[in-house]
Amino acid sequence: MTRPARSAARADLRLDAALWRAVSLFRCAALLYAVVAVLASFRNYRDRDFALLVLLAMAAWTAVMVLRTPPSKALLTVDLLVTLAAQQSSLLILTRHQIDTGHPTITVCWAAVPVAAWAVRSGWVAGGVAGLVVAAGAVVERQGASQATINSAVLLVLLGTVVGYLVTLSRRAERAYAEAVRLQAETAERERLAREVHDGVLQALALVARRSPDPELVQLVAGQEQALRRLVGGAAVLPTGESDLRGLLPARPGVEVAAPAEPVTLPAKVAQELAAAVAAAVDNALQHGGTTAWLLVEDEPDRVTVSVRDDGPGIPAGRLEQAARGGRLGVASSIRGRVEDLGGTVTWVSTPGQGTEVEICVSKGAGSR
Amino acid sequence: MSAKEPAAGERPPGLRLVVADDHPIWRDAVERDLAAAGLEVVGTAGDGQKAVRVCTAVRPDVLVCDLQMPGLSGVGVTAAVVPLGIKVLVLSASGEQVDVLEAVKAGATGYLLKSASAQDLVDAVRRTAVGEAVFTPGLAGLVLGEYRRTATQKGAPTLTIRETEVLRLVAKGLTAKQVAQRLVVSHRTVENHVQNTLTKLQLHNRSQLVRYALEQGLEG
Repeated sequence: MTRPARSAARADLRLDAALWRAVSLFRCAALLYAVVAVLASFRNYRDRDFALLVLLAMAAWTAVMVLRTPPSKALLTVDLLVTLAAQQSSLLILTRHQIDTGHPTITVCWAAVPVAAWAVRSGWVAGGVAGLVVAAGAVVERQGASQATINSAVLLVLLGTVVGYLVTLSRRAERAYAEAVRLQAETAERERLAREVHDGVLQALALVARRSPDPELVQLVAGQEQALRRLVGGAAVLPTGESDLRGLLPARPGVEVAAPAEPVTLPAKVAQELAAAVAAAVDNALQHGGTTAWLLVEDEPDRVTVSVRDDGPGIPAGRLEQAARGGRLGVASSIRGRVEDLGGTVTWVSTPGQGTEVEICVSKGAGSR
Repeated sequence: MSAKEPAAGERPPGLRLVVADDHPIWRDAVERDLAAAGLEVVGTAGDGQKAVRVCTAVRPDVLVCDLQMPGLSGVGVTAAVVPLGIKVLVLSASGEQVDVLEAVKAGATGYLLKSASAQDLVDAVRRTAVGEAVFTPGLAGLVLGEYRRTATQKGAPTLTIRETEVLRLVAKGLTAKQVAQRLVVSHRTVENHVQNTLTKLQLHNRSQLVRYALEQGLEG
C-alpha cells in the first residue's frame, strides 16, 4: 500500500471506531428505555413472563452486538431479524386493545438501532432500506397503517438515510483531512532537510568551489551545489493540487535558473508537461555546443513563459527554417508538439554570437478545458 | 607607491569592509579572500545584532552579509545599515529567493551566490562600493517576478518596456555588454536601466514602510 492509502485507512479506522461506539451507546440507551417502558406498563400486559423473557433476550443480544463491533453484514442481517422478532413478540405480550390503541411495543426505540447500524456500515441507501424493513414490521404488528405508524415509518427511513449520508460525508472529510496532514508533514520534513543541507553540505560545497585551484573541479562542484540547492528548495505538489513549476525544472550542473520568488502555480498536469518540454529544450541546448543553459521563468497574470537560452554559436538567420525543412530539428518539433497540446506556443530566436533562445509560453487556463 | 599603480586611481582606495556570516569557516574564508585582494576587513560578526553594532561603530564602505543568521536576519541587518550610508552585498548559500528579494527591497545593491569565485566576490565588492548594482541572472529573475506580481496593485512601481527588455536579457544570462549590443545602446545605458529597476523597488518599499508607520501611529 502507498503511504496516502495507508494513512487514509488509519483515519477511517479512527472514525469508524468512534461511530460504532456511538451506535453501541444508542443500543444500550434504547435498551434501558425499553426496560423502563416495559416495567411501567408491566401490570397491564397479557403475558408478563414472556415479556420478561423477551426483555432478557434483548439485553443478551445487545451485549453480543456491543462486544462484536464492527459487525459484519451477516451479523447485521441477523441483528435486523432479531429486532423484527422482538418487535413481533409484542403481538403475544400486549393485549388486543393495547395494540389497537397504539400502546408502545416492547422494543420501543430499540427497534431503530439496526437502522442506524446499517447506515453506519453501508451508507444512506442501506440505512433507508433498513428503516423501511423495520417500519414494515411495525405495520404488520399493528395490522394496519395508522397515523402513528406512518409517522414512525417516516422517522425510521429518515434516520437511516440522514445518518448514512452524514457518515459518508464524515468519512470523506476525514480522508481529506488525513491527506492534508500528510502533505503538511511532507512539507515540514522537506524544510527540515533543506535547513540541514543548507547548514552543512551546501556550505562545504560552496567553500570547495571557492578554494579549489582546479577550474574543472570548481565548475563541477558549483554545478552540483546549485542542483542540490534547487532539489531541496521547492515542494513539487501544493495542497491545492497545483504544482509549483519551479520545483519541476531540470536541476543539474550547467543549468542556471532565474525565477520569481513566489511559487509559479499551474495545474499539476500542465506543469509536468511544460517542465518536460523545458527539459527537452535544455538537453537540446546542451547537446548542440552550449555549456550553460539559462532558464527564465516568468509568471504573468494570464500565462507562464519559460525561456531557454544557450551560449552556443547560434543559428544564422534563415537557417532555422532550412534546418526544420531538412528534418534536423527533430527535438524542436517534439517540443512544439508537447506545448501545442497544452494550447501554448513555442518561439525560436537566434542571435549570432549570443546563442539560441527557445521561448515556451503556456496560457494559465490550459488543462482546465 | 601610487606611482607604480596607475590603475589605483580608478578604484576607491582602501575600501573598508565588514563581513557578517554565522559560519566561522566561511567568514574566515571570505575575510582571507578579501584581504588577499588588498581590501581591508575592519570587522566581522557572527550574528545579525552584532553585525549592526559593528557597522554602526566602524562605518564600513560595504557590508558583505549572509542572509540566514541567528537573531536578526540578513534582511533586518540590511534595513538597519543602509540608512547609515553603508552599501550591502548579499551572499546567499541556498534557494532563499524570498529573502534575497526582501534584502534587495531593503536596500542591498548586490547579490552573489556563495559558490561564486574569490575573484567574482572581490569584483562584486568593488562594484558595490562605487554604487553599481551587482546583478546576476537569478536576481534579475527575482526582480522581474516582483514587478509582475505587483503589476495589478495600485501605486506599485512599474517597469518601462525598455527596462523589462533589459531585465529579461540579463535574466537569460546575457552580460551587460551583450545586452547593449542586442539593444543597440551603450553599456552605461544598460547599467542605468538595471539600477533604476532596483531604485524603484527600494523607494516603493520605503514609502510603504512610511505609510504603514503613519497608519499605525495615527490609529495607535
